[in-house]
Amino acid sequence: MARSWDAIVIGGGHNGLVSAAYLARARMSTLVLERRHVLGGASVTEEIVPGFRFSVASYVVSLLRPEIIRDLQLPRHGLEILPLDGTFTPLDGDYLWRTNDHAQTMREIRRWSATDAEAYEEYGLLMVEMARFIKPILSAVPPDTIRPDPRDLLPLGGLARTFSKLPRRQQTAFIQLMTMSSSDFLDQWFETDPLKATMAASGIIGTFLGVRSPGTAYVLLHHYMGEIDGAFRAWGIPRGGTGGVSESIASAARAHGATIRTEAPVARINVRHGRATGVTLESGEEIEAKVVLSSADAHQTFLRMLEPETLDPTFTDEVRRYRFRGSSGKVNLALDGLPDFTCLPGPGEHLRGAISFSPSIDYMENAYIDAKEGRFSRRPYTDVIIPTLVDPSMAPPGKHVMSCFVQYAPYHLADGSWDDAQRETFGDAVIDVIAERAPNIRDLIVGRQVLTPLDIEQTFSLTEGNIFQGELSLEQLFFNRPVPGHARFRTPIRDLWLCGSAVHPGGGIMGAPGRIAALQVLRSRRLAA
Amino acid sequence: MSASATRRYDAIVVGGGHNGLVCAAYMARGGLQTLVLERLDKVGGAVATAELMPGVRVPLLAHSVGRLRPSVVRDLGLTAHGLRLVAPEVRSVSLQSDAAPLTLWGDVRRTAAELGAAGSSHDAAAYSGFDRQTRALSGLLARLMAITPPDPSHPALSDALGAVRLGLGYRALGTQDGRAFLRVLPMPIADHLDDWFESDALRAALAWRGVRYSAMGPRDAGSTQTFLADTAGTREGAAGETVFVRGGPGALAGALAAAATAAGVTIRTGATVVSVRTRGDRASGVVLTDGEEIEAAVVVSGLDPKHTLLSLLDPALLGPHLGWQAGNLRLKGSVAKVNLALSDLPAFEGLADQDDARRRLRGRIVLAPSVAAIDRAADAVKAGRIAEHPVLEATIPSLVDPTLVDGSAPARHVMSVLVQGTPYHRRVGDWDADREALGDRVTAELETVARGIGGQVVARQVLTPLDLERDHGLTEGHPLHGEPALDQWFAWRPLLGFASYRLPVDGLYLCASGAHPGGGVTGWPGQNAAREVLADRRRRPAWRGMPSRDAA
Repeated sequence: MARSWDAIVIGGGHNGLVSAAYLARARMSTLVLERRHVLGGASVTEEIVPGFRFSVASYVVSLLRPEIIRDLQLPRHGLEILPLDGTFTPLDGDYLWRTNDHAQTMREIRRWSATDAEAYEEYGLLMVEMARFIKPILSAVPPDTIRPDPRDLLPLGGLARTFSKLPRRQQTAFIQLMTMSSSDFLDQWFETDPLKATMAASGIIGTFLGVRSPGTAYVLLHHYMGEIDGAFRAWGIPRGGTGGVSESIASAARAHGATIRTEAPVARINVRHGRATGVTLESGEEIEAKVVLSSADAHQTFLRMLEPETLDPTFTDEVRRYRFRGSSGKVNLALDGLPDFTCLPGPGEHLRGAISFSPSIDYMENAYIDAKEGRFSRRPYTDVIIPTLVDPSMAPPGKHVMSCFVQYAPYHLADGSWDDAQRETFGDAVIDVIAERAPNIRDLIVGRQVLTPLDIEQTFSLTEGNIFQGELSLEQLFFNRPVPGHARFRTPIRDLWLCGSAVHPGGGIMGAPGRIAALQVLRSRRLAA
Repeated sequence: MSASATRRYDAIVVGGGHNGLVCAAYMARGGLQTLVLERLDKVGGAVATAELMPGVRVPLLAHSVGRLRPSVVRDLGLTAHGLRLVAPEVRSVSLQSDAAPLTLWGDVRRTAAELGAAGSSHDAAAYSGFDRQTRALSGLLARLMAITPPDPSHPALSDALGAVRLGLGYRALGTQDGRAFLRVLPMPIADHLDDWFESDALRAALAWRGVRYSAMGPRDAGSTQTFLADTAGTREGAAGETVFVRGGPGALAGALAAAATAAGVTIRTGATVVSVRTRGDRASGVVLTDGEEIEAAVVVSGLDPKHTLLSLLDPALLGPHLGWQAGNLRLKGSVAKVNLALSDLPAFEGLADQDDARRRLRGRIVLAPSVAAIDRAADAVKAGRIAEHPVLEATIPSLVDPTLVDGSAPARHVMSVLVQGTPYHRRVGDWDADREALGDRVTAELETVARGIGGQVVARQVLTPLDLERDHGLTEGHPLHGEPALDQWFAWRPLLGFASYRLPVDGLYLCASGAHPGGGVTGWPGQNAAREVLADRRRRPAWRGMPSRDAA
């Protein structure tokens, strides 16, 4: 006879685990149910090629909330984030190389443009100010847009007051960041094309938008968020891959008494008299709980795990309308040695950071135009990391793993659909782009894994392969995420909550949704008690 | 001119475009001695009639004026001053090279019925719901457009009142529309329409209104806002407006000028303002090309904000940061204009039957076969290329207004063609060299839906984006004085803190499309700006000392 739990968390991704840890920490008996044999969801490390361990999907930690690291004492549970040193943009016969050494970066940018170097300073300072202003929003609970609860409006009111007191140029920058394309935004400061393209690239990651699409500027901020988060850098790789993050959170959850089951796929969320009472596994096993939190995306949760008639049809329509449109792919390579770049030959520090194949704004936009036409980018934007240079434990001595994040790879192809042949041609296109700048890459490859959006959907249950559990477009943020009027982690079903990237503040290895959802659950129970 | 060198006015309006005239008329009615200075030999700006050849008249730039505020017509008595508006029952007809034309009628039921007959019962059923929602959402947007945007740094009581009015309007929408409003406003129009319709032709016909005159594509966030704004303040719904001025748009400019003059406004044409003079920290008048100086405590610019701030003001007054911001204002023009005199009514594909053809062709004739086609044209603009297939919106005003063509003229009809997909900023090429090539390209596009039209052209006028700037004072050829995108909207149009029509210099105002609520032939910015000027006058005791014209 299965016992009854205080809380069941569907999905052992990093957000699900964060929720579980916070609930267990508050003395709720908590059970995490993960479909796969490994924990972490998209924040996972797997040995794809014997001896080579990959951050299969998500490959860097960007915005893991410091309060989570503190509350759950993650370092004590093995979390260690190794800094990524800068961004290297290889070009024909030249390169743009920004490092964490400010003076060196300034010299490098001055090599391209004196005015850009000057602007870069001012820009950086402004962005840090912006990040400081935006940060509270990441932990705020979106208001109900129809019947606002004053308690939720207070922090927002505070935000409005802070905004009204900001210097004019910061107010302007905030509005521009929320509304502009990253290309237009950067044009105000810079003239160096590869610099703009490489910076703009961060604005389009995971979205079906181009560098010239309004709404992409905001993500430029994320690069600066980390700088105000104290000890941890903006971008880094966890020791042991991104799975290391999940493992440390899982370990913290267990330490607080949570139970975690893998290979326990949930078939149904059980609902009785309009409230969630537990789940039924695909094995048929039924497990009861007082509250159910789903870290799966809105489609998985509302359209797959619930009986159709449990939800109001207008709500279901709005869920169907929610946009996923995955746009990214991933190529993981096992290498016999290090790539040798024509523009900067030999091994060196430039390989230790991100290697960004983003030579120009046009290049980036053309990659997007391919996707709009329903085909993967013939010459894709590719963001490459070689984790073994900072964490040799990921591969046998002398060997390397290479992670290539690729855009664009639309989930829906104009002709045909993603099959093995398409997957390999896509993979080849990525290798070609790298080989243009580092010709020796082909001879180094001893193993390769190509993930199309379809693979991402099937492996990680991310609808349409959207890595953020839903497009981070303006109309799907904050009080509209995932469904207008249901953005407050609650769902129309009592005691069923969302705690994944599907809710505010969205995707990335941030953990924020998982944390806020758990705190909301705890608050509602206190109010009920 | 030495006499008038000492001439003083209460207010000077720089630029006699329609917003400048509206603003001037309202200021004069508010008791200000007002002078309008127009560079060209006639007022009206983009609202003008061109004579293509003797006895053949055509809308020079704007061809449909259905967004003109009814209150402007009423308050200024434009009808009494000769304004005659003609609204055909059809709103637009989208021509397809491979399918029957898609017509949007003023009558929603008629449109829905034709959509059903064309084979989409789904769209037929959805259309009236979409039309209803469009009216509801643009109704609330209209309230937003009527208020003076706040300055977040200095919220005023009037802002609170405006907010309350908006809040009530939002409440009145109800739960469904309320949520829809907050959701769709920043959306790409393509996505918004995907939620409603399955026919690409229909989506394209509607999406076009979301990106017209803009460098945005239908997949760009914010194009739903522009779509709704195009309906806001009109009695039109989803189909949008199509309204002609009898005698051509110039007749509207004429009526506005007459109304302004009747209200006591002095209008001087051929008078180019080179700079705004300041005394202390406030505007004190203007200087003309010939050095003539005219004094006024209020200077209102009817020009675009970029030109106003960077060319008319002393850079020292603006300061480096504002100068930088003004330089970054986005007004990358993307449209050109081709006007044709035709020997006869062109024979359009699928519009064989003369009477039926004539009925449908009275509307805006849109060549935008698909949302993707509109998007490709926008992509070309973003890349600084002329689009392979520009989007065209043509009107044949002579069908509703025979007075445009004299019987003796060798032409029977005139066609006004708005061309979108022609960037002012081109990577390569020179507009002066490519003017005629552009004309030919447009005729070639028209040939695909109206075979033989090329042979019917008896006169042609081509206005490139460069011509729009040089000859019609539209900086970078942008008819809206600035992109209508979300980053140049409401309280930050043209710049945050200067959206209340008051520019950085005391006594200097902006009254045209570069200000909230943006471009189009509405008179809205002019109306709002005049309201603020008059409010300041009531507020500022300092003004009492200003010598009136009689005292001078």
